[in-house]
Amino acid sequence: MSIEYLSHTADIKMLINAETLEGLFKNGVKGMCNILKEGFCESSHKIDTKVMIEIAATDNTSLLIDFLSDILAQSYIENVVFWDIEIIELIEYKIRAKLSGTQVETFDEEIKAVTYHEANVSRNDEGFWCTSIIFDI
Amino acid sequence: MKKKVKKADLNKLKDYLWEIPKSFREDMRVPARALASESIVDDIIEDRSLNQLVNVATLPGILKASFVMPDVHEGYGFPIGGVAATSYPNGAISPGGIGYDINCGVRLLISDLQYEDVKHKMEALSKEMYAQIPSGMGKGGQITLTENQINQVLTKGAEWAVENGYGKKEDLEYMESHGKLTEANPSLVSDFAKKRGRNQLGTIGSGNHFVEVDYVEDIYNSEIAKAYNLKKGQIVILIHTGSRGLGHQIATDYIRIMMNAMPKYNIELPDRELACVPFNSEEGQNYFKAMCAAANYAWCNREVISWEARKAWKNIFGDEGGELKLLYDIAHNIAKIEDYIIDTKKHKVIVHRKGATRAFGPGFEELPKDYMSAGQPVIIPGSMGTCSYVLAGTAKSKDLTFGSCCHGAGRRLSRRAAKKLVNAPVLKEELRAQGIFVESGSFKGIAEEAPLAYKDVNLVVETVQNSGIAKKVAKLRPLAVVKG
Repeated sequence: MSIEYLSHTADIKMLINAETLEGLFKNGVKGMCNILKEGFCESSHKIDTKVMIEIAATDNTSLLIDFLSDILAQSYIENVVFWDIEIIELIEYKIRAKLSGTQVETFDEEIKAVTYHEANVSRNDEGFWCTSIIFDI
Repeated sequence: MKKKVKKADLNKLKDYLWEIPKSFREDMRVPARALASESIVDDIIEDRSLNQLVNVATLPGILKASFVMPDVHEGYGFPIGGVAATSYPNGAISPGGIGYDINCGVRLLISDLQYEDVKHKMEALSKEMYAQIPSGMGKGGQITLTENQINQVLTKGAEWAVENGYGKKEDLEYMESHGKLTEANPSLVSDFAKKRGRNQLGTIGSGNHFVEVDYVEDIYNSEIAKAYNLKKGQIVILIHTGSRGLGHQIATDYIRIMMNAMPKYNIELPDRELACVPFNSEEGQNYFKAMCAAANYAWCNREVISWEARKAWKNIFGDEGGELKLLYDIAHNIAKIEDYIIDTKKHKVIVHRKGATRAFGPGFEELPKDYMSAGQPVIIPGSMGTCSYVLAGTAKSKDLTFGSCCHGAGRRLSRRAAKKLVNAPVLKEELRAQGIFVESGSFKGIAEEAPLAYKDVNLVVETVQNSGIAKKVAKLRPLAVVKG
């Protein structure tokens, strides 16, 4: 299970993988929120905000990108970094998850968008779920 | 895996114009063209921007060719510095062809003061600008809009700022589309987007956005400079930002809608970020009207930032500072409906400009009277520590590049690479030694936007001038930079 950040002109490219699809979604949230506030998701904090996010899409890639986009919007609206995620349901192309977060004064990075560019949720040769995600900064 | 474009795949049509023929890939509907010198071609061939340009050439209804400007770099979906015109009314509209930061753009305010007279106050001015203009990650502004007020901003654009005491009526004449697209419809903007926009009016944000105090270092065309009221040594203020979180959210919302709608219109594309629908479809119309609303927010934002800059100016120089007048305000991430002659036939088209600036020549009816014979001002921000340019659009840009020109220097290094290479505190001191005062919320922001992260803006502007799509008018040298 890993999160890796790579260079991409003007943007940030993140490679994530996990043994399960659920793990991949959790890594996606953790990877994105650690961009918003470096290292914030490595420990627990006082919980200020809880949100439920429920969405459907046409495939796993869209589901992950749309899920992260909704979390990003909530982060900026509430000034919150979501560091705890409980996935209540993840079935073919639907997700329902509870996110808990903590208010912050400022973010380390302003992510304009989670893009679909080059994202492709699939299993690699080792059987791990993986994808790359490019954030527009 | 699509084949990568190699230099041998490009044909040189003439000086500064290269073409990847339609035969390069069978899904291309038109050729792909790059406005570039040979050294720029050698540079851009290294990344995937030309492959992205080839992908753009597959858009339904695209006319003539897909284009990139000399400041091109790799984006996602469209390359940054890309231009595509599709047939009106049923050609594609693609939010990716406008970008997430809808109506990201620049404006230039001009003063009556000369650098020599006020150089001792530059540090104080930079600090006051930083105090008056909110900048940084997700920072809120001085104004919090009610639901009704945000709908007014989305409908009226810069006019809202003027009506509410945050702007000057005379500014409106000196803005692209007079700071308002009348097709805007706030009811097509999501609650998420409106919530994100409520407290960000009058804020710069982060990334490559800034407010910069410059002086006019050189004049290249005295006749046009006179029309624009530019003089050597004059202090000017350059503002670069867009529609902030509201625009980002509108783009995100509609790319999702369009991806789901594409099968209905039998559209298949090589990259999801190119997601598009026919302009005259329900989804296409909804996006266009929401995009216009975001464009209006951006014009209003730059007008409010000008009000903040004017306050800072007054606080430092008092009445002796005189007025800061708007030279021009121009978008570089936008879609517009415009008319062109293609193969001797008149066409109405939907022009997508993503990191490209409109560059219309003399006689364009929207221009203020005093610019009518000079042509439309084109403002090209460079990187902090180098220089920026004022250009004038020409009639040739309409023939060659759908009335479009470059928008900046263009990134060369990723933010990550720049951060590794640059020691921000040292850079800040080096710039200060050169007489450039940088105020920023973080050293990270300074490192990411260091001059070495960008291409040579002089080379980009020379290419544009030599190709004939714009004329050099003036060069600006930075004195104070406020960054997110």
